[in-house]
Formats: sequence, C-alpha cells, structure tokens
Amino acid sequence: MSSPGLTGPRWTGPADMFGRTLPAATALAAVVAIAAALLSPPDSLQGELVRLMYVHVPAAWTAFLAYAVTLLGGLVWLFRRTTVWDRLAAASAEAGVFFTGLAIAMGSIWGRPTWGVWWTWDARLVTTALLFFVYLGYLALRRAVDDPVARARRSAVFGVVAFAMVPLVHFSVVWWRTLHQPATLLRPEAPAIGGAMLVALLLSLIAFTLVYALIVRTRMRLGAVEDDLTSAELAEPGPVAGDAITPPRQEGSGSA
Amino acid sequence: MLSSPAPLTQALALARKDLRLERRTGETFLVTAPFGAVALMMVPLAVGPDTPLLRQLGPALFWVVVLLFGVLVTMRGSTIDGPAQRAMLSLSGVGPRVRLAGRAIGNSVLLLGFQVAVAPVAIVLYAPDVTGWIWMPPMMLLVAVGLGTLGALADQVSEGIAGRTVLGPLLVAPLTVPLLLGATGVLNATRHDSAPWPWLVLSLTVVLATALLSAWCAHHLEDPL
Repeated sequence: MSSPGLTGPRWTGPADMFGRTLPAATALAAVVAIAAALLSPPDSLQGELVRLMYVHVPAAWTAFLAYAVTLLGGLVWLFRRTTVWDRLAAASAEAGVFFTGLAIAMGSIWGRPTWGVWWTWDARLVTTALLFFVYLGYLALRRAVDDPVARARRSAVFGVVAFAMVPLVHFSVVWWRTLHQPATLLRPEAPAIGGAMLVALLLSLIAFTLVYALIVRTRMRLGAVEDDLTSAELAEPGPVAGDAITPPRQEGSGSA
Repeated sequence: MLSSPAPLTQALALARKDLRLERRTGETFLVTAPFGAVALMMVPLAVGPDTPLLRQLGPALFWVVVLLFGVLVTMRGSTIDGPAQRAMLSLSGVGPRVRLAGRAIGNSVLLLGFQVAVAPVAIVLYAPDVTGWIWMPPMMLLVAVGLGTLGALADQVSEGIAGRTVLGPLLVAPLTVPLLLGATGVLNATRHDSAPWPWLVLSLTVVLATALLSAWCAHHLEDPL
C-alpha cells in the first residue's frame, strides 16, 4: 500500500488520509487535557466557568499559530513556487478561521454569565471578530480564482497583508483600556495563574496544537486529492462547450 | 535612443489617466458620494430625533461612511484594466510597483475629494462639536492615502475576478480599522483635552507600513505575459 503524500495524492483509505500516529497522539492529549481541565480547581471569582478558558484560550492561541503558518506558507510559496506551501497556507487559514470562531463562541458563552452580555464593544472582541472576517476574505479570494498559480500568488500576498491584524489583536488589551483581561501567560511578568490551572491550560494548549496539526495535514492531503481529480478531469477528452451543443455538420455528410 | 520616464512620472501619468476616466464616468462624485450622503441621512431616521446623541455620533459616522464608501471608490468600475492594457503597460516598461503607485495616487486624490464632499453633509446633519478641527485636514489626507493604497492593492489582488466589487470591500474594510481608530481618536483626544498627535502618528505609521508592504507585494502579483 502506498503512503499518503502532501505533494501528491496517494489515498487508498481513511487511515492513509488521517494517518495513525498523529490521531492517536491527538486523542491521548485530548483525553489528558479534558481530565486536567475537569480536575483543576474552580476559580475563586469565576467558579466553574473558568473551565471554558481551557477551550477559549488555546483556541485563540491556535488561531494565531494557524495564521502565522499561513503567512509562512505564503512567503515560502512566493519564493519557491512549490504547490505544497500554498496547500499548507490554505489548510492553515481554514483551521485558523475555525479556531477563531471557536474562541469567539466560547468567549461569548463565558461572557454572558460573567459580564451579563453575549457581546460587548471591547477592543479585543472587535479586533478578533475583524480578524475572523479578514481570513474569511482570504478564503473567499481563494475560491474566486480558478487558476492555481494565480490563486496561490494572490492569496500569498493577501496572507502577508492580513497577518498585520494578528499583532493588533494580541496587543489590543495593552493598547486600549479593555474589559477583556490582559495576557495571562505571554507577558513580561510571571504568569497570572499557577498550579493546577496552569498545568491544565498548558495541556489543553498541547491538545489543541495537535488537533490543529491533524486538521492541517488531513486538509492538505484532501487538497492534493482534489488537485489530482481536477487534473484528471481536465486531461479527459470531452465536449468543449458542454453536451447541449453539437458541432455543426456539413450537408450530406451522413445520417441526421 | 529615448530614455524611459522616471517611475514617479509614470505613476503620475497613470494617476492622471484614472482621474480623467473618473471625470468621464463620475462614479465617485455622482454615484458614491450621494450614496454616502444618503447613508448619513438614514442613520438619524433609525436613531430618532435625539439631537445630543446625533451630535456625539456625527464624527464617528462620518469616518465610518468615509471608510466603507471609500472602499467603493477604490473598487470603481473605471479601475478595471483589461489584459491588453496590462500587457501594453508591461511591454512599455511600466512595472507593477509603478502601476500600483499610480492607482494609489489616483485613489488618494479621489478619496480626499470624496471626504471634502461628504464632510459638509455630516456637519449640516449632525452639527458635531468641531473642537480640534485643525487636526482634520492632515487626518483626512492620511486616511485618503492609506485607504487609497490598500484599495489599489486589493484591486490588483482581485484583478479579473468576476466578483471583484463584492470581494474587494471584504478584503479591504477590516484592514482599515487602524485608520478608523486613528481618525476617531484624534477628535476624541481634542475633545477630552489630551494630545491628539499619538493618533496622528499611529495613522502615519499604518500608512507607511501599508505603502511599504504594498510596494514589496506588487511585483509578486504581476501575471507573467
């Protein structure tokens, strides 16, 4: 049986598409992270709601990672013009949009009992939502261009420009007086949480990163299969303008 | 042997071409600017006759209309260059950076004119507090250049796409947020007796970063002939 590839489709079954080691490692990390999140103590102020943070925070971090990989994939494509980098950028952007949406949804669910509203006009919330729309635009751009090279070139350039939003989102809690709490871990001082909560958060981060890697790798393989299918369809001889149109015939050139 | 004109001369010639086309079609001043004015008129209908609230909202609504409708200005139909036109420019030695610069200059001039056309409407309808108005002209210029450059880049990215006029605004509008923050921040700062220049510096930084990024990206977007 041939092994799956990222540069060309070699798919013969689900195991080839998803792999074996990475799904197993992801499942193990997810079980450990869920256990740690459930066993960690409730917060003195937030109570049990703090457990939502073990999804919300890693989802946001993973989204940032995904957009950084999209930037990297686009930049490398611009210089090397290798399909695999474009495929990586596209797969990572799709995953990034998913994780951004998840972070916004979890934050909103957390915000309702804590702040009393599903949504508030806070700098972090608004910039995160805008980041979501920027990368929806990136995906819309990819769908709008048929030619694979033009698609890769244009989306790589837009991916570079779009990434400028990421630092804006990260530093929004520093640059503006926001309702959203400032950075918990990525800050000059010591982390704002510790003990079991910090361990649970880090384990959740590992699990989310593995889920991201699994999604991206699988999506890249699917992309390779899609490209191969498109190439095969184009290679097949077929009617140029569809079946509804028949080529003109000369008079008296045979039966009607 | 004839020497080719300097890049700036080429860019200015392209901008003049864009402005001449705009004079013929009137998309910015006869279509988009009245559309923006209509948007400014509809908000009070939705909010209700709460004059103090509308007075407070006025400047923010002006900038929102400038940024959202300004995107339409940059995506106007007369900016569509056909393949033959692009090929002719490339064969004439007009590089992608010059093309983008020409489009950005043309956009900026039109956006400045668009703001000048819409500002009186906002002032008449909302009677905003005009404290710190002296900061408005430089901010209007920065917004025009920043949005004009982003629009020119989005124009090249979405070149030849069927849904260009729909996709372009989605690509540009979220990226204009720092300009919106800078523009609204200046007036808020003057109203609250704090220094407005940091907002001006923020906008200038965004404009410079956009221009440099666009210049770097431009040659990557060029389709091979």
